[in-house]
Amino acid sequence: MPGDRKAETRTAPPGDDPARTMRDHQAISRLADDLLPALIAKLASSGLGEIEVREGSFRARLRKPAGADAAKRAAGRSAVDGHAGHGHAAGRGSAAIHGTRAGEAAVEQEATLVAATSPAVGIYHPRRELSLGMRVRAGDKIGTVDVLGVNQDVFVPIDGVIGTSLAEAGEAVEYGQELVRIELAERASGHEGARGELEPAGARGKA
Amino acid sequence: MFSKILIANRGEIALRILRACRGLGIGAVVAYSEADRDSLAAQLADEAICIGPADSRHSYLSAPSVISAAIVTGCDAIHPGYGFLSEDGAFADMVRAHGLTFIGPPAEVLERFASKEATRHLLASHGLPTIPGSGMLRDEAHALEEAERVGYPVIIKPSAGGGGKGMRLVRTPRELEATFKVSRSEAKAAFGDDALYLERFIDDNRHVEVQVAVDRFGHAIHMGERDCSVQRRHQKLIEETPSPALTEATRQDLCRRAVEAVVAAGYENLGTLEFLVDSNGDAYFIEINCRIQVEHPITELCTGVDMVAMQIKIAAGEPLGMSQSDIVSRGHAIEFRILAEDPAKDFRPQAGQVSAYLAPGGVGVRMDSHLYPGYEVPSYYDSLLGKLCIWAPDRPTAIARADTALRELLVDGVITNIELHRAILANKVFVDGRVTTNLLDRVGTAPFVAAGSR
Repeated sequence: MPGDRKAETRTAPPGDDPARTMRDHQAISRLADDLLPALIAKLASSGLGEIEVREGSFRARLRKPAGADAAKRAAGRSAVDGHAGHGHAAGRGSAAIHGTRAGEAAVEQEATLVAATSPAVGIYHPRRELSLGMRVRAGDKIGTVDVLGVNQDVFVPIDGVIGTSLAEAGEAVEYGQELVRIELAERASGHEGARGELEPAGARGKA
Repeated sequence: MFSKILIANRGEIALRILRACRGLGIGAVVAYSEADRDSLAAQLADEAICIGPADSRHSYLSAPSVISAAIVTGCDAIHPGYGFLSEDGAFADMVRAHGLTFIGPPAEVLERFASKEATRHLLASHGLPTIPGSGMLRDEAHALEEAERVGYPVIIKPSAGGGGKGMRLVRTPRELEATFKVSRSEAKAAFGDDALYLERFIDDNRHVEVQVAVDRFGHAIHMGERDCSVQRRHQKLIEETPSPALTEATRQDLCRRAVEAVVAAGYENLGTLEFLVDSNGDAYFIEINCRIQVEHPITELCTGVDMVAMQIKIAAGEPLGMSQSDIVSRGHAIEFRILAEDPAKDFRPQAGQVSAYLAPGGVGVRMDSHLYPGYEVPSYYDSLLGKLCIWAPDRPTAIARADTALRELLVDGVITNIELHRAILANKVFVDGRVTTNLLDRVGTAPFVAAGSR
């Protein structure tokens, strides 16, 4: 089931120039942290099957398998691969001794995009004001899990809106159990009743 | 008796406890970490619950997670297995505070026996011989003074330690000076406690342990001894019972004194008293293990007692229901720890997918293992894949059956120490029953493997 969406980034072979290596590292982490989540959201909300973006020597491509439905997305996962090895023959040949390092900083990003999960084994208490369609942002607290009287917060993993509840208030939950589905913001923009907000949702710059 | 038990462990012992629960008609819930989602125990259990991530500090070692899991699944007792929280007095106390029963000695008994150094004093006062040693070492000067009094060579040990971690052998004052600070910081890092003590080191010793059981009413029995002298860097590899190192008279005397001492000291539930036996056959008490031992099956094979069931019954407040005369140890049993370690690469632990697995069978063959074809051995935990246990009427027959079984045992996809076991079996020192705990480390394992493959 993993790999419903696949994303690849490829780099031109990095050389032995430390400045260049540094730039590559920065580019890779920017791709992983900013560009990819935005692209994933865009892809999910569109009817497109594939999106490709080029920037400098990097290229990111996302593919959505045909027939991917909501249920499958629940287990969705996105990975960023940056194997510089792909490009070795293209350029500097023997110069790339430690050049592979930059590319091997391959970022495996496990994106639990679709549900807020339980941080511990215990009793689940969602926040009372939580409602279907409410706009939330990554890091928002949407409830707690009571572990022997100590509350552990349940966080929203990504910007979006509250979807279906997967566990009831007062229910025993295990570590990692999905509690609330989070719909991606773009996709749910037409969601009926998308009124409430947990916090003022300052418009965030999106690619 | 309990209605439902939470099994707070993994691997083969989780499976072993699950089987004991089934045998007693008690419900069982297997608590597992994210890395053990596909484990055999989690699959076979009626109920299983994920208690945390792969990192055991946040799952198998997290007292709140384990207790919370027991409460939300409606369990009334927790079985900790071995390792992890099994000898943690504070955990046992917390379990009781939440209205549950810890399957093992009560919290105050665990506290009383928590310090090895204090335990040696306690049991020495109840008649057990101990190795000449020091009290807690205050500083380097004190260590030098004590080592002088006890006599070199000495072994420096962390008081809170176990499993051979952090121990250092020192043969001269100069070596002691060089290692004292290192040992202290290692102990601090490994156990959160930098208390150290030292003992005279007995070269060429054998490791013999006595299995005892004491119920809440002070009824006590021993179930004979086990010889665990085949070790590599203080880790047991092969165990057998009875010990080839003891005469019948010595055995009876040692076991009787062990039981008398633990009863006098107020021990409760299953326990194992470890002794070093020197070349003269004299035994010195070194420590007590307040839990089920990895090597318990060989005692079960010879006595016919289900020791995990016994442990559960004692924790539930039931009387032993048997006396010493009911325990008859028959024949000879040997256990082989099948480990995911590469003998050719300094025994580095291995992880990966088991592509094929076939357990051996036949008369007197018992395989306790959580393996199955397709099982992914995680890299987060110890390397124990299973225990091959052999019973026969006598030792030579047990060795012959063991060799047959080791040939049959198939584990593909992960490198194991199966061949090393066969090599040790073929070695004259083992066949003669003369292995000492330092043998494998002194000669290395390569000669065994080389000789075995001829």
